[in-house]
Amino acid sequence: MKTTEAIKSEKQLNNDDEKSLRGTLVSVGFVAAVIVVMWVAVFWIYMERV
Amino acid sequence: MEQSLKETIRQDPKKILGVNPLDAKVSLSYLTVAFVSLLIGGILGLVQGLERAGLIDLPSWLNYYQVLTAHGLLLLLVFTATFSIGYLYANLSHALGGLLPKVRKFAWVGFVLMIIGVAMAVTMIVLNEASVLYTFYPPLAAHPIFYIGLVFVVLGIWACCAGVFINYRHWRKNHPGQVTPLLAYFTMAVFVLWFFATIGVTIEVFTLIPWSMGLVETTNVMVGRTLFWWFGHTLVNIWYLVAISAWYVFVPKIIGGRHFSDKLIRLVVILVVVLNIPGGFHHQIIDPAISQSIKFLHVFMSLSIAVPSLMTAFAMFAVFERTGRKLGGKGLLGWLKKLPWGDVRFLAPMIAMISFIFGGAGGIVNTSNQLNQVIHNTMWVVGHFHITVGVSVVLTFFGICYWLIPYLAKRKLTPKMNKLGIIQTVIWTVGMIIMSGSMHIVGLLGDPRRTSDTTYGGHEAAAGWIPFEMLFAVGATLLLIGVIIQVYAVFNMMFFAPKGLTEYPVAEPEDDATPAPMWTERWGLWIVLLLAVVAMAYVVPIVDMILNAPPGSPPIRTW
Repeated sequence: MKTTEAIKSEKQLNNDDEKSLRGTLVSVGFVAAVIVVMWVAVFWIYMERV
Repeated sequence: MEQSLKETIRQDPKKILGVNPLDAKVSLSYLTVAFVSLLIGGILGLVQGLERAGLIDLPSWLNYYQVLTAHGLLLLLVFTATFSIGYLYANLSHALGGLLPKVRKFAWVGFVLMIIGVAMAVTMIVLNEASVLYTFYPPLAAHPIFYIGLVFVVLGIWACCAGVFINYRHWRKNHPGQVTPLLAYFTMAVFVLWFFATIGVTIEVFTLIPWSMGLVETTNVMVGRTLFWWFGHTLVNIWYLVAISAWYVFVPKIIGGRHFSDKLIRLVVILVVVLNIPGGFHHQIIDPAISQSIKFLHVFMSLSIAVPSLMTAFAMFAVFERTGRKLGGKGLLGWLKKLPWGDVRFLAPMIAMISFIFGGAGGIVNTSNQLNQVIHNTMWVVGHFHITVGVSVVLTFFGICYWLIPYLAKRKLTPKMNKLGIIQTVIWTVGMIIMSGSMHIVGLLGDPRRTSDTTYGGHEAAAGWIPFEMLFAVGATLLLIGVIIQVYAVFNMMFFAPKGLTEYPVAEPEDDATPAPMWTERWGLWIVLLLAVVAMAYVVPIVDMILNAPPGSPPIRTW
């Protein structure tokens, strides 16, 4: 049987998990990666051609 | 979906039953014109794709540039403008408790003026008197009636602007100390942009009318191009603002969540309005007659528009993650699985948002001076605006249709129609990936845009473009199938779907959210800032273009 303390800490954990924005951080990191990769790729083509 | 509808009826029946039938008629009329334009413009798009791939030869009475002009005008101007007006007027009516009778009159006057204008412009294109492309800037010269038609279109838009401003002012007077409902706030912002965007093109068109009539011998091409892009690029961000209004306000409700932050949303809106217009200069980044230092300034002014876009990306991911986690999503990305992928009202705008990651990144490439020289006037640019307008904006519009049209027509979205919408969304996405993807790649290989025949006498480099051009045709075929399904869905939901009530899915803020501050309502200040930014960007180059004008150009017909 779980103690009141354990239930409290589990609830806290669930609550923290619900509020977590770790996935958002990863997702915006993906957006940044797309921007950087595309920019660098086209800049590389430019440098190859000048 | 049903659970949330019942809940909303219980909590606030007005949210379901609110729109005045007279207002609904205004919106439905605009939407009807939008989807008729989409059908005609879509057919012309396929014709163009097949001709470009060398799979068909156009008859002698029709040429590639005529088709290109009509396709661009009908889709980029008529479809987007009429859809936006229909959608935004419905939002205004819903948010402010109905349109004022005189505002409704303004909307109808706008409708009639726009129909007259489009009829005049399209007639000239059909008669092959105006194959000047969607950008219609000099030295290509159309028949004067084409430009007069455009004046009517602008007058129609101004009538709609006046209607929105009057309704907004009336609400503000009667609700002192309250912030405007978010939907009305977006509507106000879009029409402020419409008004200031069209000032540039109006001045341009008024200089082109006497020139095309032969009353004036020459025109200043640089000034014409600059004034066009003042309008042309702002139009892009008008579409964007309309699309994000749906992302911020409706998508969270559809997935069972709340919107991110009223304050952040309004800040994004203000930034888009204030920073927008000078973005037009990046279309001219390799034009002569603009000094290097001014171009340097404009690269940064154009890139500044990325700031509200990145804020939007963060806010939307946060809404998805919070909602997905509340629904039981675990782990780093488990919340993604909890989103309602089987609901077309979510799927279509979600794909639109994902595509904007790639479209936006492409936009940053276009705006960067050196990189623009790699892709300038190549098929990359065509691929870019097909992924941004054709997916980010248009798929959002399509997604909106599945609740807005049943709501306005007092009908229901059936599971069968939802399934058809999913199929349409998949076809559209695949078609656009094939077409826009191949356009991006072949653009990097040098394939020029706006050119009917690019074989260059069988040159080796040009021969390498042909397989990609075949893919344009494959993608365009899928897209036309998508257009036909969408047009069917729209008119079915308008006239034949089962009668019933549909929810207007407006998201609420989080319980612990701080209310939006009143300073966001200072439209006078935002407009002054907009004008200051425009002055900073335009005064020096335009004065320079006029004082050091090269010899003007006579009207030129290349067709």
